[in-house]
Amino acid sequence: MTLGRSEAQALIKAALKAATLKDVSVRVSSSRSANLRFAGNAPTTSGQAERVEVSVTATREKASATVSGSAQDAAGVAALVARAEALAAIAPQDPEHMPPLGPQRYLKVAGEDPGTVKLGPDARTDAVARVLKVARDGKLVAAGLFEHVHRSMALGTSAGLFAYHGETEASLTTTMRTPDGSGSGWGGAMSHRAVDIDAAAVARRAADKAEMSRGGGPALAPGAYTVVLEAQAVADLLGFLIGSLGARAADEGRSFFSRPGGSAIGEALFGPQIRLHSDPADPRHPSTPIAGDGLPLEQTVWVDQGKLLAQSCSRFWAQKQGRAPLPGPRSLFMAGGNASVAELVRGVQSGVLITRLWYNRMLDPRQILVTGLTRDGTFRIEGGRLVGPVKNMRYNESPAALLKQVLALGVPERVVEGGMLYVVPPLVVDGFRFASVSDAV
Amino acid sequence: MSGSRRSFLVGSGLAGASLLWPRREVWAGPPPSRVPAPTVAPAAADASARMLGESRLLRDEALASAAVAAAQQAGASHVDVRLGFLRREQLSVRDDHVSNVGLREEYGLGVRVLADGGWGFAATARLDSKSVTTAAREAVAMARRSALLMPAPVVLAAASVVRGGWVSPLQIDPFAVAMADKVELLLAAARAAMAVKGVGHVDASLLCIREEKLLLTGDGSRVHQICFRVMPGLTATAIDRRRGRFASRDHEVAPMLAGYEHVTASDLVGGAAQVGEEALRKLHAAPVEPGRKQVILAPSNLWLTIHESIGHSTELDRALGWEANFAGTSFLTPDKLGKLKIGSDRVQIVADRTQPGGLATVAWDDEAVAAQRWPLVKDGVFVGWQTTRDLAAAAGEERSRGCLYADSYASVPFPRMPNVSLQPGPDDYTTEDLINATDDGILISGRGSWSIDQQRYNFQFGGQFFWEIKKGRLTRPLRDVAYQANTVEFWNSCDMLGGAGSYRLGGTIGDGKGEPQQSNAVSHGCPPARFTVNVLNTGGGGGGSGT
Repeated sequence: MTLGRSEAQALIKAALKAATLKDVSVRVSSSRSANLRFAGNAPTTSGQAERVEVSVTATREKASATVSGSAQDAAGVAALVARAEALAAIAPQDPEHMPPLGPQRYLKVAGEDPGTVKLGPDARTDAVARVLKVARDGKLVAAGLFEHVHRSMALGTSAGLFAYHGETEASLTTTMRTPDGSGSGWGGAMSHRAVDIDAAAVARRAADKAEMSRGGGPALAPGAYTVVLEAQAVADLLGFLIGSLGARAADEGRSFFSRPGGSAIGEALFGPQIRLHSDPADPRHPSTPIAGDGLPLEQTVWVDQGKLLAQSCSRFWAQKQGRAPLPGPRSLFMAGGNASVAELVRGVQSGVLITRLWYNRMLDPRQILVTGLTRDGTFRIEGGRLVGPVKNMRYNESPAALLKQVLALGVPERVVEGGMLYVVPPLVVDGFRFASVSDAV
Repeated sequence: MSGSRRSFLVGSGLAGASLLWPRREVWAGPPPSRVPAPTVAPAAADASARMLGESRLLRDEALASAAVAAAQQAGASHVDVRLGFLRREQLSVRDDHVSNVGLREEYGLGVRVLADGGWGFAATARLDSKSVTTAAREAVAMARRSALLMPAPVVLAAASVVRGGWVSPLQIDPFAVAMADKVELLLAAARAAMAVKGVGHVDASLLCIREEKLLLTGDGSRVHQICFRVMPGLTATAIDRRRGRFASRDHEVAPMLAGYEHVTASDLVGGAAQVGEEALRKLHAAPVEPGRKQVILAPSNLWLTIHESIGHSTELDRALGWEANFAGTSFLTPDKLGKLKIGSDRVQIVADRTQPGGLATVAWDDEAVAAQRWPLVKDGVFVGWQTTRDLAAAAGEERSRGCLYADSYASVPFPRMPNVSLQPGPDDYTTEDLINATDDGILISGRGSWSIDQQRYNFQFGGQFFWEIKKGRLTRPLRDVAYQANTVEFWNSCDMLGGAGSYRLGGTIGDGKGEPQQSNAVSHGCPPARFTVNVLNTGGGGGGSGT
């Protein structure tokens, strides 16, 4: 029951009409999602869900309260407004509260793919059947998930803002393992168009890696290695750097980008090939043009030629510091080169190929030092060739340090991450620090 | 040993070194003692009859019955329907002001069916007769399509037909406490921490959750339950701008299946100054010397290590590969049951969905199987699995252990972790006894960074606060400490356990698993315990060393 523009607008109008306070904002989120999970070469669970959530924030003299519920008609949203206003009346003041946003201009984004909107259970079983065939043919055991969603988000305020964005998203991921548990490989794809997802190709990537890692490999000695990070692994790490781009944390001395008496803006922090930008209106990979607080998400260059050019900044902090607000990114594109992963591997004398990273956790935000483990396809490279599997390793490494040590970049691709859209290249990186060995396959 | 108890405080010259652990009453009840599993539900809240009777879900029970009937009519061989109503109230305070007042409610109906031996599920927030019967039929259609790809049908273990209601024990309904009182408590705690010179920021928060479910099954079970969970929190950050360093310290209070009385008992205001002082002390702590060392893990740290290394590895669905694409599999496999020595002889670990205060405690699970208590590790040997009705046969058991849970009406229920707890040792040791018996080590408390591989072998955990131990005394605070180990080596290195008096519950309301990911609330009880691990320094430059 994904709500269209007019249905969402009607709910917002009803809420604003019911409001007695002057500062009210209303968010209407709705979705229709479905998925088919599989494991042991058979479906395990399948499901679909329709959700709707109306969220009302009412503010009285800088005292705000937010009330959310699954209301679906004028009476339901009016009840939410009444509760939010009642709570706001007893909530203490928040000196950081900002007045509601008025009308904004947003980039035009075509995020809804009609074919993905209409997708039904047959499409899901078809995709999964293709994966299972590759697994059975290869005498491998597949687990994974095919899912798709059609969702919309609308925002309105008592100051006249109305914003609406609808989008679709589909993804397929699979992990294939050898029946004896000695080898494992992963493949995945994500797009706003389900038709772009080539289930057999995703399955073959996972199967090839599982087959190549069959029997397991030796343990490497902990230490620094040249690594080829596939795009998925690059995005796994980059998220921590993106999460550190906030101006306030930097200004308050809590961030990697903090500097005595200022921030790192303009500093050449990374290699000269490094460029990071966001673009909600990218035609191939569209994403929402509306930030959580209603500000427009624009095309933004965060890093160019290795220099930090922008920091995200909330409306409150911007006002306090006398600068322009800039919402944090919801899409991230990293510039790359022309090489495939195979070509990147050919350029490495001695190193390790990493498919993806797992259980990644921040250790130290001052360095953006992160720990985690390699998973589902870790191979030794000798003389430009993959020579065999190695045991998975725990790393303790900083994406900020890695972006200084990039030796080569491959073709950027969309990776599978929820919450934020990443199109990033595979990278060859020098001096990647492995800390300990894992027996996990 | 008793002669030297508590003398470490004097010996270290650190009069402020009292440990920031909750008092015993804060975890809401005595250590678990009910063996075997009770056949009746744990004691319910006094007000349970009234709360269940006034529930809005009763108005929609006929719709749930209609969904059961529609699924059966469409050919479902099994059906369970959940009406789910979730309410979360979040209050946050930053420094001297309120930063968030939020109330979120979610309500809807989910239908799970077996048809032709395959699973199907559909959920809707539209509670009318047409929407719920459509959902039921769509779930059956989905199940039939899945079944076409299945080599063997799903088989459910037998379960008794039950009818009952239960409200988790509480003294004060957190939603009945005035907003102003809750906010004032948080502001007072923040003020007290901010009063410590050098503290730059304080965050205080309170999350109150009311989770209500009415479950109807095709074979006639009806279970109506309400669970209350509360999570107070307080974090102080000390900043040293000159050296570009900052350090944060969390209060070690645990979230609990309880009412507002847990918030009051946790005394955020009383502990705030110490939280602030310890944030400062962390800022000026000495960097740790890495190497192989003994560590004493306080319950506020060890609960998470239990969760990750034992809790997840004894999930049978993981061991069978059902989670291979996301959370991973397990180093434990069915052939290791009763054979693998996973820990030293003193390691006794139980699963318990009846434990007072435990976040995963219920009377019945999401397929109406009664809550139980059973051993997972006995005398160091791996002896038990966590199961649901569709997993029992794979464990060689006739009945489910009652671990099915869905985090929303719109989520497919699947196996989730019960409370999994390390039992106290027989010697009645205190934390001080463990410290006094340690020549060269570190006392680690609180939850820091954590990471573990997908089969639960290699883990690396941080903490909140680290005391160096030399010759049986706490000597000085340390920083940049992480400990890394292999699960089996770690538990086999366990050579000292605190007694029943030192047992505490820790827990999380955000245990992630499944695709699409769901969140589970679960507690882990334990005494302080001593282990030998690889200690890393995660501080500047080195990026962690050691093997």
